[in-house]
Amino acid sequence: MKKTLTILICKLLRFALKLIGKGSSKPGQVALKLCPDILSRIELPRYIIAVTGSNGKTSTVEMIAHILTQNGKSVAWNKEGSNQIEGVTTLVLDSATLGGRVKADILLIESDERFARYTFRYIRPTHYVITNLYRDQLTRNGHPEWVYDALLDSITDGTQLILNADDPLVSSFGEDRDNVVRFGADKLSSDTEELVSVYNDGAYCPVCKSPMVYSTHHYNHIGHYRCTACGYHRRDTQYTITAVDLDRGVMTIDGKYEITLALKSLYNIYNILAAYTVASIVGIDGAKIAADMNHYVLKNGRVITFTLGKRHGTMLTSKHENSISYDQSLRVAAAHKEGCDVLIIVDAVSRKYFTSDVSWLYDIDFEMLGHPNIHEIVLAGKYVNDLAVRFSYTDIPQEKIRLFSDIDSAADYLNSDRSEYLYVITCFSDKGKFLVKVKED
Amino acid sequence: MKLLHLYYDIMNLYGDYANVSAMKRILEKSGEQVTVDRLTLGDSVDFSQYDFVYIGSGTERNLRVVLEDFRDHTAEFDRYVSVAGKVALLTGNSFEMLGRELGDGHGDITMGMNLYRFDVKLQNKTRLTSDVIYTCDFLEQPLVGFVNKCTELTDIREHLFQVQMGLGDNADSRFEGLRERNLFGTHLTGPVLIKNPHFLAYLAKLILGREPETSWMVHEKAGYEVTLQELSKRDKRDV
Repeated sequence: MKKTLTILICKLLRFALKLIGKGSSKPGQVALKLCPDILSRIELPRYIIAVTGSNGKTSTVEMIAHILTQNGKSVAWNKEGSNQIEGVTTLVLDSATLGGRVKADILLIESDERFARYTFRYIRPTHYVITNLYRDQLTRNGHPEWVYDALLDSITDGTQLILNADDPLVSSFGEDRDNVVRFGADKLSSDTEELVSVYNDGAYCPVCKSPMVYSTHHYNHIGHYRCTACGYHRRDTQYTITAVDLDRGVMTIDGKYEITLALKSLYNIYNILAAYTVASIVGIDGAKIAADMNHYVLKNGRVITFTLGKRHGTMLTSKHENSISYDQSLRVAAAHKEGCDVLIIVDAVSRKYFTSDVSWLYDIDFEMLGHPNIHEIVLAGKYVNDLAVRFSYTDIPQEKIRLFSDIDSAADYLNSDRSEYLYVITCFSDKGKFLVKVKED
Repeated sequence: MKLLHLYYDIMNLYGDYANVSAMKRILEKSGEQVTVDRLTLGDSVDFSQYDFVYIGSGTERNLRVVLEDFRDHTAEFDRYVSVAGKVALLTGNSFEMLGRELGDGHGDITMGMNLYRFDVKLQNKTRLTSDVIYTCDFLEQPLVGFVNKCTELTDIREHLFQVQMGLGDNADSRFEGLRERNLFGTHLTGPVLIKNPHFLAYLAKLILGREPETSWMVHEKAGYEVTLQELSKRDKRDV
């Protein structure tokens, strides 16, 4: 009775809040108050797929849901990316019957790295994808090893781990464990022999802390590594990117499936591979998955194309405080062969909480914007001085850089006769401030 | 002049390395020729040839590894700081190594280098983070920055900063950090010297023995003012 009532209240609240456009964590929060063990009283589907990691959770989950739905599976998933225990509770109860059975073939959960250990106490994933562990939001997360320890507590027996083999810290979750599947990339044409990054989180072995060596780097410390002391090394993969051509925007999985990329970034190819891996495990045919991913444009608003006066552009949104994801955005701009301008905005550091800390700027490899493909760099926002100082520690000539303390003036300045394509790189909290000045495509 | 960035590849979270870049720049702008050595685990270190030593922050596991290496340099580092009185800056958790004991919160204790009389205790599974405003008697303007740690420090005798906003050494302390002669240890993370150009100028003056050139720090100063303003607004709201 208590169970039914809790589910009913959660559904009603969810419905009401949805009407007024409110978020999805409140109903779950109320439900957990009414019945703290409600999650353990629900009959869950055969497949419970969880996705966590520093980056790519939301995109990967969206792509998994897309593929599975296209192939006739019913999927319950947290579309709004509300990924702490309250949001997951809302998702589960909202997709359940009043009798307490989730009406879906697959429950697909995006989980926050720090809260996974609470969520999965009640909902034990059958499959658990860990995408990567990067320096991310130091203001909340500390550092990757700290998050590793928090995630370790969330892994229960009987769960199949699906791990990124190319991330040394993530892959180490699978050491001395059965039932591990790994995905990753072969040596790619875009790889580098030397590390391209401001810092090296792959310098030391995550298992024994001796120096590691790399035979190839896909990006930053993601690549093929080997510890010089304990023998820990990059493991073979069951699902593999065998080739990628970022100029043409084509990736190949397992040597036979070609996928044309809507977003030509290495990031994107890992998210696609993770989605491919999960869909394959669920039993979808590889050719079908590849067809569903072909030209797939993410709907989560992280990549937006626009027109500003006579100019066309793309806004790449990521968390400010995540240098590897930021590096990826810079890499996309630097690879724009026809030449482009870049606008960098830092007006608020974070969307979810207050901080005025700009340390993260120094973990980003802004040197990449020294590439001849980049014609002009415009820095804008309240923290424009900090950006200017950061750029003064690169080799990029000052003449290439313009500064504006407010976003409006920066947008007005860019609305010019210049014909260069425009990349805007910023975070969730600042993107709206620029988008009001443009026409979204 | 010679600068040493010690444990540059293993104690370098949050853009710490930029503290060394900033020190190099101010000394060069002041007319000095500057070289930077970057050394790490297992390297032999001759502290006597340096004018500035910097160590940044690392993960808790990395700190334990580094402590065992740094321990071998205890006497020489002590000579650099206590006898020669030269300038060293240790940010984030790195200065925790200099104390007596590092406890893991479960009764396991690792001996520190025992250069100074203070103790460190790990706060299990709690990350302590905050924006901070600190003051000190040797600078007219306050310091701004960020602290991100999982430890509490007790019994520090020679304090570095007074806490105006945010975290101190421990929950009850209104002080933060350690100062012994020209050794500065603080839990501030990241490019402390870039965020606080006046602190950079102060350390540079100690190294040079004369006033450094600071007229070039235009955006540095403006950036500092913005952050101080933002944090002060925040501080009032909290009160």
